[in-house]
Amino acid sequence: MADEQEPGGSEAPPPGKGEAAEQPKKPAADAAAKPVPPKPAAAPPPPKPPATMAATPWVSDLARELKERFGDRLGEASTYLGQNFVVVKPEAAIPVLEYLKLDADFDYLVDITAVDWPKRSERFDLVYIVYSFSRNERMRIKTFIADGFQPATAVGVHLTANWLEREVFDMFGIEFAGHPDMRRILMPEEWQGYPLRKDYSIIQQDQAWVRENLNIESGQ
Amino acid sequence: MPDSTFLDSTELVLNMGPQHPSTHGVLRVILKLDGEKVMGTECVIGYLHRGVEKIAENRTWAQFNPYVDRMDYVAAISNGLGYCLAVEKLLNVEAPPRAQAVRVILTELNRIASHLLWLGTHALDIGAITPVFYCLREREEALKIFENYCGARLTTHAFRIGGLLYETYEGFEREVRAFCDMFLPKVDEYEELLTNNRIWVGRLRNVGILNADECKEYGVTGPVLRAAGVKWDLRKAQPYSGYEKYEFDIPTRQNGDTYDRYMVRMEEMRQAVRIMRQAVDAIPEGAIMGKVGKVIKPAVGEAYVSIEAPKGELGYYAVSDGSTQPYRVRVRPPSFVNLQALDRMVRGGLMADVVAVIGTLDIVLGEVDR
Amino acid sequence: MRNLLKKIFLVDLFQGLWVTFRYQHPRNIYTEQYPAERPKVAERYRGAPRLNINPDNGETLCIACNLCALACPEALIVVGSERNEATRRKELTTFTYDTSRCMFCGLCEDACPVDALELTQDFELATYTREGQIWDRQTLEEGPRPTQYKC
Repeated sequence: MADEQEPGGSEAPPPGKGEAAEQPKKPAADAAAKPVPPKPAAAPPPPKPPATMAATPWVSDLARELKERFGDRLGEASTYLGQNFVVVKPEAAIPVLEYLKLDADFDYLVDITAVDWPKRSERFDLVYIVYSFSRNERMRIKTFIADGFQPATAVGVHLTANWLEREVFDMFGIEFAGHPDMRRILMPEEWQGYPLRKDYSIIQQDQAWVRENLNIESGQ
Repeated sequence: MPDSTFLDSTELVLNMGPQHPSTHGVLRVILKLDGEKVMGTECVIGYLHRGVEKIAENRTWAQFNPYVDRMDYVAAISNGLGYCLAVEKLLNVEAPPRAQAVRVILTELNRIASHLLWLGTHALDIGAITPVFYCLREREEALKIFENYCGARLTTHAFRIGGLLYETYEGFEREVRAFCDMFLPKVDEYEELLTNNRIWVGRLRNVGILNADECKEYGVTGPVLRAAGVKWDLRKAQPYSGYEKYEFDIPTRQNGDTYDRYMVRMEEMRQAVRIMRQAVDAIPEGAIMGKVGKVIKPAVGEAYVSIEAPKGELGYYAVSDGSTQPYRVRVRPPSFVNLQALDRMVRGGLMADVVAVIGTLDIVLGEVDR
Repeated sequence: MRNLLKKIFLVDLFQGLWVTFRYQHPRNIYTEQYPAERPKVAERYRGAPRLNINPDNGETLCIACNLCALACPEALIVVGSERNEATRRKELTTFTYDTSRCMFCGLCEDACPVDALELTQDFELATYTREGQIWDRQTLEEGPRPTQYKC
């Protein structure tokens, strides 16, 4: 059968790929350790894609309005694949959200999430996705924050930010200043470590917690 | 006259779940009660947390595809569609028209299957036992089509990035048409059982009201938002996968109570049939796979793509660093966000209504916890 | 007035009861009598894995290319191969498939270039031990042997 998406056939599997999070058994470990047979397809390396996102400037009334209002607290406004986003200084994120909600009708906060880039000095991307029902338009607000920086909470602007920020805290360890209930949400409360950081391996576990609460050795 | 402290009662804290049958999974709700009245709730979630987003970072783009089925396992095909669309957006390709039509048919069929399971269990929670048997009977017919099409009933892995792997089977159109013809009278039958039933109406009307402003404030989407009077559906607002070609209505209601959400979902099932009929009559010929290489390697970049899943807006925020593996996949789960409004909906109401409200939110814990 | 009469005469309840009454006939029974009656699963059903054998010469079709092992998201396939000096070809020696972790996504059979690995219509995969879930080459070639109940 012709396969259209044979994944990673010509790529060496990265470390840890072979191990399932829960129960890596013998076969898995063997498979990961096995050297990958080089395939002819891998021989001519494809032209290297640009290392940064090929975004183009976002020209619109809204982008101009934002720029006028927030000045140098607002970085560039860009478009990638038809999706608009603005980069703002961390302290300006909440004012921008508030402005968008009250004056530009972006009344629905879709999501808050983060992306970890451990090699960067400002380690995390904090991404707010907002949507406007009346304009039928979506945009992203991105801030770059360093590890340990406490961004202000968005709960005062959108109530839905409550759980979304708790999840970001749970997974990345970004604490939001002024959040009414800054606790873990998905992981157990006493858990040590933040699972979605890049330095947290997929098979890593809080051994002490597992031993104490489940009375088993995790086997990882 | 007895001492006033004699009649004083303190707030009672009651644990509902995680093994309560009507929390639809492993949701634990800590209820603070004053007699029968709910003074406050707190949801404890995460019992089903499997770290799907972490798994994504350790798989290739195509390998992660089967995992998304396991989030909202009641509507696995919708999950798969959202993920495939997100990666296709990053790759900047589009599935061919034939693939899009088949995708629409299967997602709408899945919407019906999801709503049927919701209706059956919701009615069961309220105390009506009969509908669940009928709902599961009809859902079985939908699952049979999935099984015939892709070989699995629940966690289907039906779509591939770039289009479809499986060509439609012999008799696919006939079976879908037969399902449509069979199913519409059945919806009327459920309505005969429930819509005018005095217990059903009594238990649902004016329970768990969430008005339009509150919905937007909490980011609640899907049938809950539409029951509050907001005529918003991503299939119309930002059509994907060729939804702009089909004619259908967005059912809305005004009160935003549990009964209205029931009515909206019933009407949505009829509209789904309408879409399926149009789509199955006009499946174009042609390829089913877009121009996607054997190894999926999107350029550096990010994209957020969302679809109208049966529960609401299901979004995927995918970040690529140019390698074969996702750098980050964030799932915006409708159930998780909708569940947050539970406290607002039950506070001040009666304890028995908590069950009705959890049922009406139509949460799937696999998606809440991921 | 009409609504009041409807309420008094329990119209809504009888309406519902009439629906259930219509399904009283035995031909509306929907129960499947498994295991007495074996269900017929779809042709494309993704069930127990099988390593196909060439019917002409009884040799395995597998060319030990390892593509299935690479395609598997759970990395549960281990292909052992050995170079045959006479034919200068890689030949299959062992094949391990851990069904306990398999999610039957079908990526391995998609990846197989020679249709050797296939997910079949067998769906009875329960075993008494965890070890029984790890299938070796022999089990994969012969297929599972579930108990057939005669009722």
